Amino acid sequence: MKRRHMLDPEAATGRVLDAQLHLLDRQVHDVASVPVTAVSDLEISDVDSIQNIPPGTPAPQLIALLSGPVLGTRIFGGRPPPSRLQRIAWSDVDEVGVVIRLAVKGETLDATWAERWVRDHIIGRIPGGRHDPE
Amino acid sequence: MKRIFAVALGILTAIGGFLDIGDMVTNAVVGSRFGLSLAWVVVLGVGGICVFAQMSGRVAAVSGRATFELIRERLGPRAALANLGASFLINLMTVTAEIGGVALALELASSVSYVLWVPFAGLAVWLVVWRVRFSLLENVTGLLGLSLIGFAVALFLLHPSWLDLGRQALQQVEFSDEKASTYWYYAIALFGAAMTPYEVFFFSSGAVEEGWKSKDLNQSRANVIVGFPLGGVLSIALAGCAAVVLLPQSIQVSTLGQLMLPIAVAAGKLLVAVVLLGVVAATFGAALETTLSSGYTLAQFFGWSWGKFRRPVQAARFHLVMIVVVIVGVGVLFTGVDPVLVTELSVVFSAIALPLTYIPILIIANDPQYMGKLVNGRFTGAVAVCYLGVILAASLAAIPLMIITGAGR
Repeated sequence: MKRRHMLDPEAATGRVLDAQLHLLDRQVHDVASVPVTAVSDLEISDVDSIQNIPPGTPAPQLIALLSGPVLGTRIFGGRPPPSRLQRIAWSDVDEVGVVIRLAVKGETLDATWAERWVRDHIIGRIPGGRHDPE
Repeated sequence: MKRIFAVALGILTAIGGFLDIGDMVTNAVVGSRFGLSLAWVVVLGVGGICVFAQMSGRVAAVSGRATFELIRERLGPRAALANLGASFLINLMTVTAEIGGVALALELASSVSYVLWVPFAGLAVWLVVWRVRFSLLENVTGLLGLSLIGFAVALFLLHPSWLDLGRQALQQVEFSDEKASTYWYYAIALFGAAMTPYEVFFFSSGAVEEGWKSKDLNQSRANVIVGFPLGGVLSIALAGCAAVVLLPQSIQVSTLGQLMLPIAVAAGKLLVAVVLLGVVAATFGAALETTLSSGYTLAQFFGWSWGKFRRPVQAARFHLVMIVVVIVGVGVLFTGVDPVLVTELSVVFSAIALPLTYIPILIIANDPQYMGKLVNGRFTGAVAVCYLGVILAASLAAIPLMIITGAGR
């Protein structure tokens, strides 16, 4: 993911976000302030080629925040197949601040399936796991 | 009144919580070999941990974010992952050492081999982490750990020549059979013992757990600035006991039992029992803190839900990590490796890894974008940069010294 501005400054109605500075590796919280994941990479709409972009081409759009295995590929290179991407749709993002806040519950997102699996198959089955600490 | 009580409680738990197996073993070893001539390192280390804990607590209170979230955000995924790997492994080593310490102390109390105590110690650590509220676990182990004041009492009862001890501490008396490289190796070990990185993960995550806000900062500052130095006094008293009783007999500390000899000589069984309670509480408390820290670091790096204020099912992966860490620690101890040896190595590795956590915290504490008005002041900033130099020097010198001295043998 190269450093670039997500919105065309002229078309932007809100503030300009820097992907590197404001999005990547930020903590994501759901609507109830429960941590969901950290942003491991971003998905943007396809650009045919990086060079020779004809003037007037619409800027690529930010589609989703990615988590899961893309952290490995971001560090070591390569790209997982699109079916393996854990996406959080950009339209679900409510606010970008010290943390990225979503407008939806984390419970339903792909990004939390590992959490749910561990909860349902391991932690939830150990006595006391569903109670408040005393 | 409630406020005063809270401050007093915080200070007392900071004193009791300052010492862990690393501090105890390293101070006793150093006392028995070098007398009090390394006491200056304890003073230096206490100053360092005050600066470090104070900064990380402030960062957590102002931003509401704990250390490792910020490390990843600031350093990017590559450097943060390398940092996580090193911090996590050293923390795992410390968990092993602390559980071993609990088991060794129980062996001293019961004459049952420590290996048999290891699984119970591990189980107890997990049960507390699983079920007990954060403030309760912190306060109970901290207050019981205060029985380590027994080391200071013993030092007085031994009627040492204070002049001799003072001369050892201030004039750096030569110890003919010790080389300079060994002296510096143990200086680094003592420094690492006083400034273990887990204390910072625990301190900053604890600030988030307890929901600190900027207005709670004065209280936390008082806890740190009064509590830790008093804990440091206990460390020096421990080294003093070893210097008075063990050094003249050329007994080099290699077991936890030898820590108790000066106390038995000074005051007999009763004080030994009291101090043993303190040792169990302090190592158990540190075992809890390190176990929690392993969950904190991993969960914060990957952005998982974490925290003791949530039910275990609401922070499932966080709890799973801690279960695995305790099992691995117990497994390592079952191989029969000497827990005292693990402890001695863990404090040196702590010193090696210290810059990895210190530098990011320092950068953030200096950053007005994060910290607003509560950014490092001129004084704190200057002290923090001086400590950066000390920490880097200790970290760089540690591995060569370890090789030259054969890990202090």
